Amino acid sequence: MLEVRDLSSRAGSFVLSNVSLSVHPSSCHVILGPTGSGKTLLLESVIGLRKPDRGKVFVNGDEITLLPMEKRRLSYVPQDLALFPHMTVRENILYARRIKGMRLTTENGVAKELIGSLGIEHLLDRRIRNLSGGERQRTALARAIVSGCKYLVLDEPLSALHESLKRELWYLMKDLQGRYELAILMVTHDLEEAFFLGDAISIIISGRVHQQGTKREIYGYPQSLEVAKFLGVGNLFRSRVTQTSGGALSVRCEDLGVSLNVSADRMKSQITQDNECIVGIRSEDIDILPPAELPPDGTNTVAGAVRSIVETGASFTIIATVGAGSKTVEITVGRAITNRLNLAIGQPILINLPAEHLFLIDPNSRDTLS
Amino acid sequence: MILFKKISIISCFLIFFLYGGLIASLFYFFQWDPLTTTLTSQRTIFSIRLSLIAATVSTVLSVLIALPSAFALSRYDFPGKRAVDTILELPMIVSPAALGAMLLIFFNNPLGLWIQDHGAQFVFTFYGIVLAQFVTVCGVSTRLIKAAMDEIPVRYEAVARTLGASPAKAFFTITLPLSRRGIYAACILSWAKALGEFGATITIAGSMSMKTETLPIAIFMRLASAEIEGTVVLILILVSIGLSILYVVRLLSRRDSYA
Repeated sequence: MLEVRDLSSRAGSFVLSNVSLSVHPSSCHVILGPTGSGKTLLLESVIGLRKPDRGKVFVNGDEITLLPMEKRRLSYVPQDLALFPHMTVRENILYARRIKGMRLTTENGVAKELIGSLGIEHLLDRRIRNLSGGERQRTALARAIVSGCKYLVLDEPLSALHESLKRELWYLMKDLQGRYELAILMVTHDLEEAFFLGDAISIIISGRVHQQGTKREIYGYPQSLEVAKFLGVGNLFRSRVTQTSGGALSVRCEDLGVSLNVSADRMKSQITQDNECIVGIRSEDIDILPPAELPPDGTNTVAGAVRSIVETGASFTIIATVGAGSKTVEITVGRAITNRLNLAIGQPILINLPAEHLFLIDPNSRDTLS
Repeated sequence: MILFKKISIISCFLIFFLYGGLIASLFYFFQWDPLTTTLTSQRTIFSIRLSLIAATVSTVLSVLIALPSAFALSRYDFPGKRAVDTILELPMIVSPAALGAMLLIFFNNPLGLWIQDHGAQFVFTFYGIVLAQFVTVCGVSTRLIKAAMDEIPVRYEAVARTLGASPAKAFFTITLPLSRRGIYAACILSWAKALGEFGATITIAGSMSMKTETLPIAIFMRLASAEIEGTVVLILILVSIGLSILYVVRLLSRRDSYA
């Protein structure tokens, strides 16, 4: 297991504070965050390229914080891959063996198997400058794995690739992770990539880890306003807590002019009546109902009208106005629903905000309340 | 855009004609008889051999010390780094004669005298020529090699080290081959500068015929005794040797290029 404990590091005036995380064998821990949040600084401190100000790094329980890079057993793939341009693909892949004085061959063992899995047999004698983006990526992965390290540290290695190639490599990386029991610590700013590859995710913003957890926890329950915004939660509305007794939690949403019930399962003790809060919900968790399907009690439902419909590939983003039209709600729906409801601009709709998907954020501390 | 292109190409040719014109003007005093006499003279052959050997030895020595120094300046932070980096330009800001005078003064200090008594004699000897050329080119070659190493992203070495290479192995297998072209350029320029070095050399090694008379010193001596035709021949020899070796090395380094 790769473990980072309370690591703090700095680059100029930028400070990375108290990062702790662990990466288990055969799993991938993704560091997700916007550009300039300190992700690369964290990786550089872990691999030993920078000396951390504080904190420790362990591999299988052995402290490696002050060990030289070559003794850490961490294989690093930077954003630009850093394939050695004066060597062929074969020489790059076998570099770790060459410097350890081992026989240079791609004809047997892990190297042969890996080269076959990555489909790069025909590239072995090519120079790096003659490779495409995807071929470079595969070569970098092969080089890192053939070295024998079980811990891979990847710094946005797929960022330069186009969408279809990226997806192909996601599957490949998952396959390699399981087959070679790799523990991967990876950095990305791509949400989809993080949720596809990450078994665990840490959200890092402005040099601080804001949230850590499984994909489900991160996706469903952002723990701060910053995380919610970074994860693309567009529906954040000013509200006030109106009821907290009897296992029920209700808020009056001023922005939408409606009372909302919120699932009390994750309710935290500090919620008190009359507390100001921000209520949030993901666009894909909102339902659109035709006006005739108003629930009997009308709970968590608000009337609105379609202002715009944007086709975003497999789904549609509907922007609906509510109340006097000054506030909007962002809703993501599939093609089937859009067709069934025959949605058109100006059409009145009912917007249902399910209680189990609503979360509350304290506007002062900016942390979640539920 | 086209005008700018024309202006920039014209400036290239202006430089070419400036130096080319100077070389061409030598032929005004060129005569065949002095050419054969000078070329076959023992004194000229000695000067050529002495210049080639001294320039090569001083270049090798300066590159040997410049390589690790340039790497340290390019990659590490250490106390006094700025001072070292600044002093590299000393040979460029101090005139060659002053540099030679500084060497001469050093060898008249107690430490210099001790070195001369217990080590090698530098004043008025071959070692003095090599030392003068070494002092002149060492800073330049360090500066050039550092510039070449600055161009190599440190990530290459980081990756090599995470793959198990020690710092020395990463240097010899990654940094050195990747900065090869810059090192070639540094060698070429250092050698060319050493070959043409005059001021520091004559100050510390003197101008003794068949002992410390390098080609530039021989040219000066011939000119001082008003032997214009002989001077022209020696200049042409110096120019031919310098330009042809530079040209061959440039060709070789281009063939070696991987980028």
